[in-house]
Amino acid sequence: MSVKVNLHRSLASLTNGQTVVEVNGDTVGQCLEQLATRFPRLKKRLFEKDGALSRILEIYINGESTYPDELATTVKDGDELHTVVLIFGG
Amino acid sequence: MLSQEELERYSRQILINGFGEEGQARLKKAKVFIAGVGGLGSVTATYLAAAGVGVIRVVDHDKVELSNLNRQILHRDEDIGKNKVDSATKRLKGINPKVKIEAVAEEITEASISRLVAGFDLIVDAMDNLPTRYLLNKTAIEKNIPFFHGAVNGFEGRAMTVIPGQTACLRCVYRGAVVEGIFPVVGVTPGVIGCIQATEVIKYLVGTGQLLGNRLLVYDGLNMKFTEFKVKRDPNCEHCGGLKDKS
Repeated sequence: MSVKVNLHRSLASLTNGQTVVEVNGDTVGQCLEQLATRFPRLKKRLFEKDGALSRILEIYINGESTYPDELATTVKDGDELHTVVLIFGG
Repeated sequence: MLSQEELERYSRQILINGFGEEGQARLKKAKVFIAGVGGLGSVTATYLAAAGVGVIRVVDHDKVELSNLNRQILHRDEDIGKNKVDSATKRLKGINPKVKIEAVAEEITEASISRLVAGFDLIVDAMDNLPTRYLLNKTAIEKNIPFFHGAVNGFEGRAMTVIPGQTACLRCVYRGAVVEGIFPVVGVTPGVIGCIQATEVIKYLVGTGQLLGNRLLVYDGLNMKFTEFKVKRDPNCEHCGGLKDKS
């Protein structure tokens, strides 16, 4: 399944400036794994050490939240994935 | 009942379709709790005071620092070293002397929060850290108080409105604690997000429009773009999972 990934701006320095990347996968987890394979420095920002999704990332598919089972969420051809970084400032 | 002076002061908003004198009277009756008078709280408090919310309680235990002044528009150089709630009260009274401002220079903690929010109709989340935001969210859920969330970083911000039992809460959307530190921010960002929070509060009180319930609004100031994400209640949410669905 071909999925268009929209990366948060803060991750672009790890993807040679790209904020939109096409990947293939059947789940959000597979898409992110492929992203990490293509851009190895991204891995630490996408996943916790135990392989879980990073605590500061939110994943939306076609504008809908995938929380709390983000990595297992299935995707289909043409889906759009957004990575959004949690912010807390006031 | 609105006085002649109030009718004149608020005449332009009373003219809005769906607002009217009835909406203005609802604002006057309302008691709004604002957690934090930093970047976001300065803006929400300013516009809620100007709009004529009856009672505004501002709670913040911090003192004004020079590095606050690029964004925390209720404070001035002369306030450095003083309690933020005191300078906030002074400026808010200047904006609208008709509004009752309650200043509380106290930290919001597990021990204090129930007492601090007692009797208030709404909670505005204008904090600068996640643990206190979660505490406010949890308390809002437990006490069935609508909760108006906003957060900022750099040129980016977000807002969401939580109606307990009807919409996703903060904990349905956010995974948990994260490492925090000093965050970068330019004053216009809390300006935008604080205004959105104040808009949501006014809409809720007046009973008009569509709230940001189950919708996370993300603002990207660098690209000048607003993106809306759909969020949903998590049935296993540790804050609101036990609440019956009232939507």
